[in-house]
Amino acid sequence: MSKESVFTQIIKDNEGVIFKITTVYTDNREDQKDLYQEIVYQLWKAFDRFRGDSKISTWMYRVALNTAITRLKKEKRKGNQVGIDKVIMKQTEYYDTEFEEKLKILYSHIQGLNELEKGLMLLLLEGKKYEEIASITGLSASNVGTKISRIKSKLKSQIVKN
Amino acid sequence: MELEEMQAVWADLSSQLEKQKKLTDKMIIMMTQEKYKKKWNRIAYPEILGTIICYGVAILILINIGKLDNWYTLLSGLISVVVLLILPVLSLRSIFRMRKLNIAENDYKDTLMQYAKGKKRFQSSMKLGYYLGFILMFAIMPVTTKLLNNKDLFTETTKIWPFLISIPLAVVFMIFFSKWVYKSYNRNIIEAENLIKDLEE
Repeated sequence: MSKESVFTQIIKDNEGVIFKITTVYTDNREDQKDLYQEIVYQLWKAFDRFRGDSKISTWMYRVALNTAITRLKKEKRKGNQVGIDKVIMKQTEYYDTEFEEKLKILYSHIQGLNELEKGLMLLLLEGKKYEEIASITGLSASNVGTKISRIKSKLKSQIVKN
Repeated sequence: MELEEMQAVWADLSSQLEKQKKLTDKMIIMMTQEKYKKKWNRIAYPEILGTIICYGVAILILINIGKLDNWYTLLSGLISVVVLLILPVLSLRSIFRMRKLNIAENDYKDTLMQYAKGKKRFQSSMKLGYYLGFILMFAIMPVTTKLLNNKDLFTETTKIWPFLISIPLAVVFMIFFSKWVYKSYNRNIIEAENLIKDLEE
């Protein structure tokens, strides 16, 4: 199997994950598309150096989250962003309105978190264990635990406010 | 919405996305091609254009420096040149720093740390750029009057009233604008500092 075909298969297997990361870190459709392309490009660039020391998913999350963060930095230079509503409404073809509404609430909660918390929350929602979150983020597992419980209380207070 | 419910919604979303895979091999390979560089250039081009304009004006002043025949227009000319040379450097530096980031090797914490530091640095340099722009606005007035109309703004101006109106207006505008800029930049710097503290804990 050629390098290209291995890579394209990895991307195809994980396209949903990349999509979710781009939704959390952008607030309009065009930026989301750009970030998606950028993540795939960065994964391709990094693919040669992937030695299999970590799980492919760990490596992928790390590169994708790092790309999203560096992208954020570029975006801060622009301004005039469109609200998250516009992204969610169009994201998949099969949504029912109730699900869409729930998703909107979920994203609004995530948007209320800071950059670090957004990444942690995303990994938590992806069902990652603290150890894996730690190896993706570079934080210690205990630190991940502390920060996640802080996120939980932050979310609770957001819910109370609403 | 409780965390458990959020996880359930997320799982639903994941399975929906799993069902509707859209990417083809060709699309993936396309994404890895030169397109990315074009996108990056979209951000860099306006900055480079701004740099060309600033440096162009600076060169124009330097070529005609001999025409600035008294100490105050000469001083204004030199201040303008210095500001015009510094302004683009402030902005371009942050873009090139960003390019140096090693996305593949760094972990999320390192990238976030660099992001927060970069954000803080960028906001500070933008603030500095803003104040330099303020200085440039006044410094370049006697220079352009001299170079374009061959007139000394301070001694050969016959009508003072346009200046009496426009200068205070410009100053008032700049004061209010600077306060607003300062506030928003400060908020961003504080956010970046908090993120750094959070990561260093």
